[in-house]
Order: sequence, then structure tokens, then C-alpha cells
Amino acid sequence: MQLRTEIQIATMIKAMKDVVIPAVDGKNDLALQQAQLVIGLLNLMAQQLPMQFRFDRDELQRLVACAQGLSAVQTNDAAIAVAAQQLAARRSAATAVLERCATDPAELTAAIRDLREATGALMSAAAGGQDTATLRTVENAVLALSKEQLLRDRSLMLPQGWEPNPAAVPAIDALLQ
Amino acid sequence: MLRPDKDRPSAEWIRSLRARFPTESEIDRILTRKMERRSGPGYSPLPIEALIARLEALLHARLGKQSYTFSDARWLSGGSSKLQMAFTLEWDRPGVGHEKTRMVLRMEPAESIIETSRLREFQLIKAFEGRVPVPPLFWCDADAEFLPYPALVYGFAEGVTKPSAQRPDSGRNETSGVGIWLPPEMRAKLAPQFVDFLATIHTRDHRNAGLDAFDVPQLGTTQCAEWGMNWWDRVWEEDGDEEIPLLRLASGWLRRNMPVLDRHSIIHCDYRIGNFLFTEHDARISAWLDWELGRIGDRHQDLAWTTSRPFGGFDEDGKTFLVCGMLPEPEFIAAYERASGLQVDAKKLHWYKVYNNYSLAVLVLGTGYRIARNGKTHQDIVMATLLGIGYTILNQMREQIEEGR
Repeated sequence: MQLRTEIQIATMIKAMKDVVIPAVDGKNDLALQQAQLVIGLLNLMAQQLPMQFRFDRDELQRLVACAQGLSAVQTNDAAIAVAAQQLAARRSAATAVLERCATDPAELTAAIRDLREATGALMSAAAGGQDTATLRTVENAVLALSKEQLLRDRSLMLPQGWEPNPAAVPAIDALLQ
Repeated sequence: MLRPDKDRPSAEWIRSLRARFPTESEIDRILTRKMERRSGPGYSPLPIEALIARLEALLHARLGKQSYTFSDARWLSGGSSKLQMAFTLEWDRPGVGHEKTRMVLRMEPAESIIETSRLREFQLIKAFEGRVPVPPLFWCDADAEFLPYPALVYGFAEGVTKPSAQRPDSGRNETSGVGIWLPPEMRAKLAPQFVDFLATIHTRDHRNAGLDAFDVPQLGTTQCAEWGMNWWDRVWEEDGDEEIPLLRLASGWLRRNMPVLDRHSIIHCDYRIGNFLFTEHDARISAWLDWELGRIGDRHQDLAWTTSRPFGGFDEDGKTFLVCGMLPEPEFIAAYERASGLQVDAKKLHWYKVYNNYSLAVLVLGTGYRIARNGKTHQDIVMATLLGIGYTILNQMREQIEEGR
């Protein structure tokens, strides 16, 4: 998927700086200030997005460690004991989540790009070769893969309004595993 | 796997691409120029006053020293690929005398979604003056001798690209002419002109049209189709980022099924709604624009482009697809055959539909991404927005290939 947030944010910042802000009435302080704040927040978003997942995972890791430490709490206070038990139960659930978060999103997108590239290279090799049976097999696989993936890509882009018949494209929520 | 650095291409890699994908000499020149300049600066906003000073230098060189007055200069929106500045020039027009002329400067940014030749565009528009409504052409700065980037100056043509009335039930995106809707009474008047001008373009003899920036493919061979495939395969190699296996499949399918050229036609290559101006009060086409992709080639390429789904839409009953929002495809093809006296081959039409979607996907998803990411244009945000239509185009191409297998 090529239309990722990185390029959206970068082009929004450039449009604001090069086109929109120079056209804002210099006497309209409120508009000028808010235009600058839009750029500031977009810049912040551009920095935060690539590490959002790691940031959250890091925090969860420390919360789990903290909860682990608090599991040693011994008390005769019933209310405290209930709260400590609830914390222990949630720590268990959070630990399970943390274990499933071992992979960084950047690794996921890198794996996607690698596999796309290798699949494309096989497709090109088959298209340029003489083995028609293999060509048919590879083509069938690529067409099937593309059909399903493009359905999701188009669904993700539905709000942009490109589809001639948007009702024929299921909502992205229903398509993602 | 060793990947070339597409943002800082080496001379050796550029040479290898040129050798791998031979195409028309002027296309090779402009693609090579693009790659040689790629590692250079992005596009920076140009003050209108600075552009006017450069324009003045161009006029002095072309017309000699005289007094010029520029007024009403302003940027125009629309035209995703080039910068356009409207202005009024008060001057002594040769053969006419003193007058105020409304003009448009059409100039490339640092890199464009469609890298094309201003010289070819200039020659094509000249070839159709008096035959098809085109804007009057004044000057061409093909090699950016005066202006910051290659540019054309042409006369301002009256008209609009879309009607002021809007389809009440539509939420379609109309960026760059996609999905424009026409009221029924307007489409009835525009459709016959739309067909007739296409026939006029296709039947113009290229040999006496002054098109020396164009190579002529051999009749009775697949050279025309092959030049086209080499063009877009090369652009994908130069610009593409994330691999798309379906594009590799399409390239292979297209190369295995290339059609033989039966007749030379001058083709516009972007003949569609959104690329002509019309006057709303009488629904008359006043100017055909955006000739930059034109070539001497196969009429089926234009017919396939014009009938593309993204440029059309469904009529009010929601069932009948209208070519460019004007008339059903069978009616469009029949009217074209009558007007041109040329036959339409369904198999070639299908091949060019796949080919056109292939080239469109390469431009939108490959070049659009590359130039927006590198900050090379005056409207990178439009390039980024247009990435979203790439998947609709790819899906249509996939369906067309499945139909043709």
C-alpha cells in the first residue's frame, strides 16, 4: 500500500507552507497562528507515527514490570487485596498481549515489500521464459492474490470517492482479519 | 538483492535502462533528462514577479525590444502535471497591432507526473490549428533557455472543463477530470463534437503536419506497441517504489499479445472529458488541451483511453455506462467509425485498454509517489491524493486481463 501516512503528512506540510500560508491575509492573526499550529502538529505527527507502536509497547513493558513488583504486596486490608488481585489478573492479560507484540510494524512492512519484490521477480521470470505451464500457474496465483488485495486497497480508499460503484466494495472492517 | 538508488541514479544505471527499453528518440531524451536531474533540488515556489521578468526576456528574444505590459497575473488550478499562470499582455502583436491578449504560461515543475516534451506538444497543437479547436500558441521555451523549466505560452481560451450544475446524487471525486457528470441536454450537444474532433485528429496525415520531433513506427509490425511498452516499463523501473506483481504480469501479457499497426494516426493520448473547454451557454467545444502525451501511433490507443471507466460514469438510471459521461460505448464506437471511415478492431481495443490502464497505474502509483516524496512539484499533495485511484485502475486492469486470457 503506497498511500501511507508518511507521504500524506509530508505533502500536507508542503502545501501549507508553499501555497496556503502565503495566501492567508497577513492581517488575520488568528488564521496565521492556526495555520502555523497545523504545520507544527503535522510535523509532530510525522515524528511520532513511526514510533507510536514502540512507544506503547515500551510503556506496556514497564507497566507489566511494575505490576509484577506490586504482586508482592501483602495486606490485611480487604479493599487493597481486591484491587491487587484485579491488577494481577490484568497483568496476566497484558503480559499475553506484550508477548504478541514482539514484531515492530516496520519489520512487517519490510517483509511485505520483500515478498512483493520476490513475487514480482518470479512473475517477470515466468513471463520472459518458455515454460507456459509454469507461467499459467504463476499468473493464476498473482491474479488471485491481486484480486483479494486490491479489494482491500480499494476499500481503504473508499472515502476518497474514486469507485464508480462504491456499494460494490465491502467496508474495510469486514475485510481485515 | 542489490537495489538501485532511484533518488540518486547512477549514470551507469541510466545507461542500462536506455539500452533495455529503446523508445522514440525524443521520449528517450526527456526521460534521460529527468533521471540526470533527479538528485537535484525539489520544486520551490516561484514568485509571479520573477516569472514575469523571465517571460519578458523570452519576448525580447523572440520579438525584439518593445514595450510590454503584464497585468492580472495569477496561478490557475487544474492540470495536475504542469504549472499554469494566466496573465494579460499588452503588446504590439505582429500583423495585428496594439492589443491586450489574455495568455497562459504552461511550465513544467522540477519533475512532472507525466514527463513529456514541450516541443512535441507545441508541434501537435500547431498541426491542428484551424482543424480542431486549440488554444492559439505563441511561444515555446523547450529547453528552459529563459524560464526556470521548459514551457509554452498560449492564448487563454474561453470555457469550462465541467458544468456548473452538479449531479445531485454523486459523491465521486472529480480531481483531474475523473468522474465529471454532464446534464443530459448538454451531453447531447457535446457528444457529436467530441466524436467528430477525434475522427479529425486520427485522419490528419502526419507526413505534412510538421511533426519532426516524432518517430514513425513501421506499419505491419508491432513496433508501435513495443515503443509504448518500453516507455512505460522504463518509467516503472525509474520511478516505482513498492513492487506490484500484477504490473509485472500485465507487462508480460501485453508483450506477448502486441497488436500489429495497420494505419498511422496522430493520437492525442489524453482525449477525454476534463481535457477540453466548452462554453456552457451553447455547449460548444472551444479548445482541446493537454496534447503532451500525443504520438504517431494506433487509433485504438485513443479509443481505449477515451472509453476508460474512470473518465466516464453511469447515467441517471445507474445502469448504462457513458463514455466520458456522454454516450454508451457501442454508440460511441459506431459514431466514430462513421465519422472517421476507420474500422475499430475489438481485440486491439481490448489490448489498448489494458495498456492504458498499465500506463496509468505506472504514472499514478510509480511516478506520482516518487515525485511527491521528493518534493518535485507545485502540488505534491495532489500527487499523493491521486495515489488512491491507483488501486481502482489496477483492479480494472486485472479484470480486463482475466477477460482476455
